[in-house]
Amino acid sequence: MRLKSRSRPLWPLSILTLLVIYFLPAGAQGSDVGNCLLCHKYPGLSRVDENAEMRLLYVNEEIFNQSVHAKVKCEGCHTDITKIPHEPVKPVDCLVLCHIIEPAEEQKFSHKSVEKFLADSVHGKMDEHGKEKPFSEDMPTCKDCHDNPMFRPLAFVKKVRPGIAEDALGRCRVCHKKEEFIYRFYNHVTTRLHKSRSPLNIAESCARCHDDPELVARHNLSTMARGSYGQTFHGKAANLLDESVPDCLDCHVPKGQSVHQMHGNDDIRATTHPENRGQICGSVDCHPGASQQFANYQVHAEFNKEQSPVIYWFTTFFIILTGATLLPLMGILFLDLLRRLFPNASFRRRKEKP
Amino acid sequence: MKKYPAIKFKDGKKYFFRFDLDTRIQHIILAATVIILVLTGMPLKFSDSSWAPYLYSFFGGSKMAPVIHKWTGAIMLLLFVYHVVRVVGGIITNHIMPLKREGKMSIGRVTMVLVRLPMIPNLKDLKDIIGLMKYLLYFTNEHPHGDEWTWKEKFDYWAPFWGMFVIGITGLIIWNKVLATQVIPGEFINLCLIAHSDEALLAALFLFIWHWYNVHFSTSVFPMGTVFLTGYLPEELMVEEHYEHYVRVMTREGLESEIKPPHGGGNNPTICGEPQDVTSDTPPTTAPANDPMQQGGVNS
Repeated sequence: MRLKSRSRPLWPLSILTLLVIYFLPAGAQGSDVGNCLLCHKYPGLSRVDENAEMRLLYVNEEIFNQSVHAKVKCEGCHTDITKIPHEPVKPVDCLVLCHIIEPAEEQKFSHKSVEKFLADSVHGKMDEHGKEKPFSEDMPTCKDCHDNPMFRPLAFVKKVRPGIAEDALGRCRVCHKKEEFIYRFYNHVTTRLHKSRSPLNIAESCARCHDDPELVARHNLSTMARGSYGQTFHGKAANLLDESVPDCLDCHVPKGQSVHQMHGNDDIRATTHPENRGQICGSVDCHPGASQQFANYQVHAEFNKEQSPVIYWFTTFFIILTGATLLPLMGILFLDLLRRLFPNASFRRRKEKP
Repeated sequence: MKKYPAIKFKDGKKYFFRFDLDTRIQHIILAATVIILVLTGMPLKFSDSSWAPYLYSFFGGSKMAPVIHKWTGAIMLLLFVYHVVRVVGGIITNHIMPLKREGKMSIGRVTMVLVRLPMIPNLKDLKDIIGLMKYLLYFTNEHPHGDEWTWKEKFDYWAPFWGMFVIGITGLIIWNKVLATQVIPGEFINLCLIAHSDEALLAALFLFIWHWYNVHFSTSVFPMGTVFLTGYLPEELMVEEHYEHYVRVMTREGLESEIKPPHGGGNNPTICGEPQDVTSDTPPTTAPANDPMQQGGVNS
């Protein structure tokens, strides 16, 4: 009893102590200028919005600091937040002029140039006559594909381990002195120089729209793209976590252009236009020497009577063949197992010879 | 050609000759290549399953597994070519040439020779299947009296034979698709992939369910039939599966007195003394036991 009464005033104190320790700014938190993490660091922080959807408001600082926007702090994109506690925020506009100075041009950085590419592509909201396309609200905006991806630094010096290659940093240090700058630029350059996502990851993000049956029907698309890609060797190897196989972008983006410049198959600028197809497959990295005929391989063929009747019936033949072969044999096998339980059972005995 | 005794005696038991060494080696190579091909191929067919990435990376992932798959397939196709050459060579030296020497060459006689080859299905097989159905459905307690090669073995022989064409040719086309599409349209590659993988799944299921039941899991042979290693089948299995042939061999070897009654209920040895019904479509009983034509590929 005494112990209990003694300990009572102690527990709020201990919790307070813990809280103080917990709130002591960690090294990285110094960059959180607006102190947003005061609230947003709690994993459970969330609310149910007007559309009855759960919104998770948690920011994992460690992950964020590994991401391509690590240097752009919260207020850089959430420009409408000026005080804490803040009003409900508006969606981030990716085309906003950033406070980051782009070193080559010494201008403030912006993604504005992408807007033109996207508007001109098959994913634009307007057609070539400036009229709004039907169901233009389905067209993707920046954040439908981009989700602040992680850095995937290359390790190209005697290693194939992804991550920071210390040997490579040695080359930077010859001229550059600031460690933080070296790390940031190494990350930035290596990430820009190779795919920031695995083929599987790309396919999954395109699938968010292109495998949505309603959207595919609305826009009269000929295939569930991710599903049919998954039927090809490319897609299967991607499923098996191969990173060297072509994903959606490798075939659908013209060589040397921005990934935002995709066009429909009927557009002569499209890589997948029947006249240009041969050049995709026949590139030096893929199937050198591949003919136009090679490119007629139906990459997005489905087991579907309307879409690919020949393939549908061909596959059906094999399904029937498999069933017709295995089912009778498995029936015999099953009966044989049963027969062995009753080796002498029979309606009629063998005829005895006199 | 080594002469194999028709019956071997070991520890007081009789063992009956089935496969010569050449056939056994062919079978081992076939079995090994099939298993490797299935292990390196199925992770692709079922690439979205949970186990596929693990199995695939065991074979070196998408860099190495396809290489292993292609070379194993090449070995299998070479085996197939070797087998066909042996069989055709055997037919010519053992059947066609003697006919020629005797000046009896005619389309009819050659057809007869071909129809009587051990792996060609015949009326006896149909009777045996009907007999087996009667036995399995309890209409009789007598297992059909199989000949030297039963319908099961012929099925097991022709299934991979047909598979070799379907899977082998499509596999070669997919392997050399850039070259192949100089001639065939690209749409054919789609069909080749479907044929290759669907036929392979059929083959794998056929082998791992049906064939393995007959040679591994069936209570007659569990845990494993040894005929594919020794070439000789124990007497009780001979009685169960190949009774007609068994009686013939025993008679030929002068062991009539030791002939066991047929498999199944009842115990009536008198049936054995009767002359066998030899229909026109049963292979000639005088075929030498070491006839190279008896090179069944996969046998139960």
